[in-house]
Amino acid sequence: MRVKFWGTRGSIPTAITASEVQDKVVEGLLAAGGRKFSGPDEARAFTESALTFSQRGTYGGSSSCVEIDRGAGEFTVCDMGSGFRAFGIDALRRIAEGRPKTFNIFMSHLHWDHIMGFPFFGPAYDPETTIRFYGGHAEMEVALRRQQETISFPVPFDFMSARIEFHPLEPGRSYEIDGRAVRIIRQYHDNDSYGYRFEEDGKCAVYSTDSEHNSEDLDADQAFVDFFDKADLVVFDTMYTLADSLTMKEDWGHSSGMVAVDMCHRAGAKRLAMFHHEPIFDDATIESHHRDTIRYEELMRDEHALDVLCAYDGLEVDL
Amino acid sequence: MFEWHMEERDGSSIALPEGAIDHETADAFQAALSGAIDGAAAKSRLIVDLSRVEYMSSVGLRVLMRASKQSREAKIEIHIAGLNDTMAEIFKISRFDKIFSIHDTVESALAT
Repeated sequence: MRVKFWGTRGSIPTAITASEVQDKVVEGLLAAGGRKFSGPDEARAFTESALTFSQRGTYGGSSSCVEIDRGAGEFTVCDMGSGFRAFGIDALRRIAEGRPKTFNIFMSHLHWDHIMGFPFFGPAYDPETTIRFYGGHAEMEVALRRQQETISFPVPFDFMSARIEFHPLEPGRSYEIDGRAVRIIRQYHDNDSYGYRFEEDGKCAVYSTDSEHNSEDLDADQAFVDFFDKADLVVFDTMYTLADSLTMKEDWGHSSGMVAVDMCHRAGAKRLAMFHHEPIFDDATIESHHRDTIRYEELMRDEHALDVLCAYDGLEVDL
Repeated sequence: MFEWHMEERDGSSIALPEGAIDHETADAFQAALSGAIDGAAAKSRLIVDLSRVEYMSSVGLRVLMRASKQSREAKIEIHIAGLNDTMAEIFKISRFDKIFSIHDTVESALAT
């Protein structure tokens, strides 16, 4: 099972600026200190050894889109944020190599940043494509049609010639979808959101974004700990610091790295991917939050270490 | 294991939790802290001496935040004292050090 992150930003896509790119180039040049490189490979190796991730790269700015892939067969994606456009382009390449034109899309919820990529999804305009939407919201089709009403977007939903199906899922039940066992959990977010657990061949990935775990209902945590049980990877909304999530951002529907670590520890999960990054955070700030979360995991570790990743656009994790 | 002690000193209530505060002890911590706030007179001060708390997970911090809101409604000031190195790091990572009034010792909290 491979998990590929096509969009990791929350709320709204965020583009890096020319000034920010220049700052990174300057940091790299200063770190090199006049050193000469024999070619691109040596220079690339230097950046990887001498610069932090935020100095040499970027977490990216596309909004939520995460692919669960086995390398063959139908495609499976969680959410259609702006990263879904790039996924669609890459899917066309893989279709040309022989993959079927069938997509299983699991929707956490219907907020704009999680559906905005769909009108730009190339395969949706191919009549040989099949797209199956899965989610806890009965209004999936309503939300997608609404964002493509002509006042908002020049291409109507009905112009998409793919075969499109909507399959509501219910928490508490287990489903078999494209050879994977899939479960859904309802999460605390405005108008609800849903998390997903995917199991296949002894591997398990959980996608739990836009889920708030606040100070009022501590008992609700256990349901998530059970849902994350022994997962190989948990993708978790770590948008805010704990303090922000409980004060000025309370009821905004997001969570923190500290809550993610504690729940993953309790669940015996192996790996955490921090996700849904705050759009006002630059790369250095996201990296600082990542370091803090790694340190918190070290402080709170009991038996097993939890590997704490910070998702970025383009990250691939093999389970 | 979690224990809780209370004392009054110089017009302030001092709460002394002991042990680790995580998901297993959070309910007991919450009940005790809420009771301490309910029991404190209005416009008084509650000092939570955390010098005997080994560590506090995010669940414990969420309890502390709920207590902070409860204390504001009751017009009681909450002060934190006696963080060990681990707890100081946890407060820093969580940014709780920006929200709570933190003192090295109970004595320095009483002196403010």
